[in-house]
Amino acid sequence: MLCERCKIREANIQYTEVINGVRTEHNFCAQCAKEMDFGPYSAIFDSDFPLGKLLSGLLGVGESQEHEKTHQVVCPTCGTSYEEFIKNSRFGCADCYGVFDILISDNIKQLQGNDTHKGKEPRYHIPRAGDHFSAEALSGEPGTGQTGEEDQVLSGERLRILEARLKEAIAKEEYEAAAGYRDQIRSLRKEQETG
Amino acid sequence: MKWFEYVDQEHPGAISSRVRLVRNWDQYAFPSRLTQKEGLEMVRRLEQGLKDLGSFDGKQYEYAFLDELSELDRKALRERRIFNSTIASGKRPAGVILSQEEDTSIVLNGTDHIRIQLLSPGLNLEALWKQGDKLDDYVNQRFSYAFDKKYGYLTSFPTNMGTGMRASVVLHLPNLSMGKKFTGLVSEMGRFGASVKGVYGEGSENYGALFQVANQKTLGLTEKEIVDLVGRVANQLLNQERQVRAMALKKHRLECQDEAYKSYGVLKYARRLSARDAMTFLSQLMSGINDGLLETKEPCPVYRLMLGIQPANLQKLSDRPLGKEELDVARASYLRSELPDLV
Repeated sequence: MLCERCKIREANIQYTEVINGVRTEHNFCAQCAKEMDFGPYSAIFDSDFPLGKLLSGLLGVGESQEHEKTHQVVCPTCGTSYEEFIKNSRFGCADCYGVFDILISDNIKQLQGNDTHKGKEPRYHIPRAGDHFSAEALSGEPGTGQTGEEDQVLSGERLRILEARLKEAIAKEEYEAAAGYRDQIRSLRKEQETG
Repeated sequence: MKWFEYVDQEHPGAISSRVRLVRNWDQYAFPSRLTQKEGLEMVRRLEQGLKDLGSFDGKQYEYAFLDELSELDRKALRERRIFNSTIASGKRPAGVILSQEEDTSIVLNGTDHIRIQLLSPGLNLEALWKQGDKLDDYVNQRFSYAFDKKYGYLTSFPTNMGTGMRASVVLHLPNLSMGKKFTGLVSEMGRFGASVKGVYGEGSENYGALFQVANQKTLGLTEKEIVDLVGRVANQLLNQERQVRAMALKKHRLECQDEAYKSYGVLKYARRLSARDAMTFLSQLMSGINDGLLETKEPCPVYRLMLGIQPANLQKLSDRPLGKEELDVARASYLRSELPDLV
């Protein structure tokens, strides 16, 4: 198939766009694709990118899809990946320390000049000590308009789940499913903006 | 009275001391991983558990959710060192428990679940750590902490893990910081594990010549060792400052005195003052008072004035928003009314 733009070179890039559920397919050659404005994704045409990366770029996942072994370590409790930890240098929960322990102990030593705690230890360890302090006891004062807030939390949560599924689908090269997730994400984002 | 209104005459040059401890409740993920709903729930439970804090140390506490405070109030509290920039601008549900004197505060769901902070005038780290230790136990009796034998208190940022403690002192170093050797001295302190930073900016931009000395590391040192280290470095810098100043006074006493009086004159009579000018003159006035070159009828809390002329705190005195020019006028008028008369 010839490139639909220059009609000279062979088309080797297929670009599918779904806007409001209407699917349009385009076939371009690499050179035309590079010249066209794909917004934030233009950069990916600058050199020969692997297909997976190209798609992830078009699907709005960003270019962080590196599948090296260490980058796959994810804290089961809070979902923080090693990659995220490195990027933000921030732990997501107490369990992250155990999960990333081997990977970070050298860095910790470099950062802190030491890797073992020496100071105070908690004098009390009463498991579930704070359980009887309920949130309800203080509610009613601030935080009006609760329901709207909860809605937002829910759609935020859904967005996170969808993004995770999208990444997974791309990793497994299930592109059709990925496109579906992408559309769902787009409409959810739109909802959030307007709603 | 607020803590910064007292004048510590024993340690001229040592403006304030601070001890901060960060802790996390082991029942929740760290703040960045909590949903709005979880965060709100946790802040409420923490506030409920700590609602009798006053009966523990006899102080009067105010409890507030961050979203109940206006942006101006948050900025003003940031200038008065109760919030850091993350909390002041954060959108997460967060809470603050603040003593009337503003010397004790607990921030909930900032970068960590619990951030205990104690402030005092002068050089006072040891006493602050003792206070902080007890307050920490009080909180710990109600909420069990995320703790690990090897990594100590577990915190969001690896730069706080271990003791979760930052001990810091603010010093006034107008003479020492003008010398060429100062940059070398600062990096020298780094080798001992202490950081020295300008409070109101870096290098020559640091108007007011206030510097903060703090421990760099939080893991592998005991709290006592941290307090000793920061205290030692602070004393070292203060000693050097005194020596340089003594030399200047010996050779140029009249110039020093002239400078102090001129600064007082400008502060007392100017009709508009930029933050930069006001800080520079207040710094010179502070030196003059400490050296006994000029005397005010009542003690002059220069540090309180330095906090008072910051934009948000100044703005709070006015009943409407002020532009930059108006702020300069308000600053001059604030200083005119607050500066005590000379003897």
